[in-house]
Amino acid sequence: MIVTGGEAPIPIPTLMEGAQATLANFEVADQLFLRLAALGPELITSGDRGFLPLLAREWTRRDSVTLSFDLDPRARWHDGVPVTARDVLFTMARARDQAISPRLAGLLRHIRSVSAESDRRIVFQFSHPYAEQLYDATFHVAPLPAHLLAALPPQELRRSAFMSNPVGNGPYRWVRSVPGQFLELAANESFFRGRPDIDRVLFRVAADPDARINLLLSGEADVMDNIPPPPANLERVAAHPDLRLVRVPSPAIGYLLFNQRDPRDLSRPHPILSDINVRQAITLALDRKKLVRAVFGTHGEVPFGPVSALLWVRHGAPPPLAQNQAMARDLLSDHGWADRDGDGTLERAGRPLRLQLTLPNTSAIRRQLALLAQEQLRQVGIAVEVVQLEWAVYAERRNAGLFDIDFNAATQDPSPSGLTQSWSCGGGSNVAKYCDTGVDSLLERAIRSRTGSRDTWHTVLRRIEEDAPAAFIYAPTYVFAVHRRFRDVAIRPESSWIALWRWSVDR
Amino acid sequence: MRRWLLRRTAQAAVTLAIAITLLFVLMRAAPGDPLSRLQGDRLLSREEIASLRERYGLDQPLLTQFGAFVGGLARGDLGVSIEYGRPVTSLLAERLPATLQLGGAVILLNFTLGLWLGVRQAVRRGSREDRWLTVASLGGYATPSFWLGLVLAWLVGVKWGLLPPAGHSDPLLDSGAGFLERTVDLLRHLALPVLTLSAVTIATTMRHQRNAMLDVLRDPFMLTARAKGLSERAVTWRHAWRNALFPVVTLFGLWLPILVTGSVFVEAVFAWPGLGSLAAAAVGHRDYPLLMGAALLTAVLVVAASLLTDLVYALLDPRVRLS
Repeated sequence: MIVTGGEAPIPIPTLMEGAQATLANFEVADQLFLRLAALGPELITSGDRGFLPLLAREWTRRDSVTLSFDLDPRARWHDGVPVTARDVLFTMARARDQAISPRLAGLLRHIRSVSAESDRRIVFQFSHPYAEQLYDATFHVAPLPAHLLAALPPQELRRSAFMSNPVGNGPYRWVRSVPGQFLELAANESFFRGRPDIDRVLFRVAADPDARINLLLSGEADVMDNIPPPPANLERVAAHPDLRLVRVPSPAIGYLLFNQRDPRDLSRPHPILSDINVRQAITLALDRKKLVRAVFGTHGEVPFGPVSALLWVRHGAPPPLAQNQAMARDLLSDHGWADRDGDGTLERAGRPLRLQLTLPNTSAIRRQLALLAQEQLRQVGIAVEVVQLEWAVYAERRNAGLFDIDFNAATQDPSPSGLTQSWSCGGGSNVAKYCDTGVDSLLERAIRSRTGSRDTWHTVLRRIEEDAPAAFIYAPTYVFAVHRRFRDVAIRPESSWIALWRWSVDR
Repeated sequence: MRRWLLRRTAQAAVTLAIAITLLFVLMRAAPGDPLSRLQGDRLLSREEIASLRERYGLDQPLLTQFGAFVGGLARGDLGVSIEYGRPVTSLLAERLPATLQLGGAVILLNFTLGLWLGVRQAVRRGSREDRWLTVASLGGYATPSFWLGLVLAWLVGVKWGLLPPAGHSDPLLDSGAGFLERTVDLLRHLALPVLTLSAVTIATTMRHQRNAMLDVLRDPFMLTARAKGLSERAVTWRHAWRNALFPVVTLFGLWLPILVTGSVFVEAVFAWPGLGSLAAAAVGHRDYPLLMGAALLTAVLVVAASLLTDLVYALLDPRVRLS
């Protein structure tokens, strides 16, 4: 019994779009539907190595834009029908249709065509050479059963019987879902990669963290995902003799994003934050290690650049800058900022160094960090007003660029190419309008590099750190609790329960 | 009676129409929309947002959206939830039973135990029992539900292990379990949330009932009843209590909708799959279709509760005429 915070109302590939693109849906879908291949233990998304076969037994690179996959002939749908190339073609056609799956269509935009050479062989053609072709072909969508769905118009799928009883090909099959309460799966007895040792899996939903911890501590749940801060929660769970803690790199990252445009007139540069010296001074003034320790205990670190613990490019990156308030003061003073009226806040040309820091009122973590950061910045003469907004209002203002400093928390997928969304000039999520053409060309080079060079990515990160478009504050490690009767426990960062079928249990 | 019912139904329909229109306009006038939230949180591109906006009809003029909503309502279709991707009617129907179980149990406890204790206090006015019950009811009234819920869940559910600390039913209960087994399981899960919610509501009921009874007990007709030689039990329950019920019935009319959609904290602390938490999440997500559905349900309950209260008045007091 896994107690989790999110419900999975639609764990069906190609339907997990918009608000349904949730972690809960993805994680349940991974039990039911197999992808062609899985990420290896290093989570490297570049190149053709480092992936593990799942539905595809093997793959072959034919040229710089062509990959072929051979399906495992043992693979069967839960109703016994063999998995064939037709299923892959059918699913990719739906996934690449902007009208059906806009999110997936965006992610799969570099795939030019998908064709079948036989019942078992599929060929992917890409529009240009780049490092993550295999990742794009295998990670974003898992095949659906064409023999059950091909006759159904796409818009009918959401209302079809398949929704209440999905037929997959994964290690677990669907049993039932009681909305708002739990979802039950049972071991796929004839799973071609080996029958799971755990017969029955229940995902029990409790949105409130206290309720989840109570269910775990009372023995009503065996596993809890992501025990949230404060560290006292972890101490309570760790003190339980039957439970052990498992640390998992998380896809989350939190940072103070500096607006480059003036929120009062977006056509003008920000009167304070467009100055790189102020941005660098803010970053230097913060003791980010202390901030992380205060909120996450030992279960988090300061990232170097906009990179969560999930991304492989973080390995080998230099350490982030340590706090240096003297240097921050000097930097500001050298560029004309001084406290001339003695009120504790610096001014330049009559303008006080006063900024608003906005965050959603639903995030206790960010609220606590914001207040600590506010105090640290006050010590160097930067006045920060912490403004908490209701989620929807916060998001609307953020997307419209109406902020000075935004305390953002992002969830990243394993591919570093996603960084273009927020950190390239034309990025769709670049709400702060950060633009450095040097970073853009470095990003382009890193993405196109067939070898997926780690060094190129580190150059990108270094350049972003120097530009200081944000102060990168935290990259937490998730902590899961698992009952000690489970053995061979492996919790994967890209999808927590994808290796659940390999767990065993003392009976 | 029939004319009264017809008139009240027509009034209710007008009230509902006004409420729905206001809700629709106010919701859209509020800052934030369901898709800008996704753009910030889940890194959707502008093209994807535009596509979703079209899918949910949010790109249409307000009047067209309202027309679509009213048209759907006439067909019994409240649309598809943006957050859940499922029909709103299904979501509401799935959550309603748990809500009615929780709200119903609290109301039942109020109108049995709460009333009985209130009457006892009034009859034994000034006694030690009355004083203790007054202190207890004030204590209950002053206790925040979310705090009491957290304490009960930890103490009774985790520390003592007497009752489940959260949830609506045991997922491991065998699918072939009988009615009795299921009922016991439900009652075990219901106990702590009901206790938490009732602590405040029973205190209110007791205070209202006590005061109303004291007023009635001072009326001259009580002296008459006693002079006729009626037993004290008959005087209390047949004559006094019936007349002292009016303020409490009003309370019932006010509580019914609140208990259905207002127990958000208690639902969260006990992971109770009710409408309250669903509606609260819909507000946060600006899930317009779901929010309209939940609001409509609440409005219907308010109107129905008001209607029911009037009917109960008439049943209790022959002087009240439904005309």
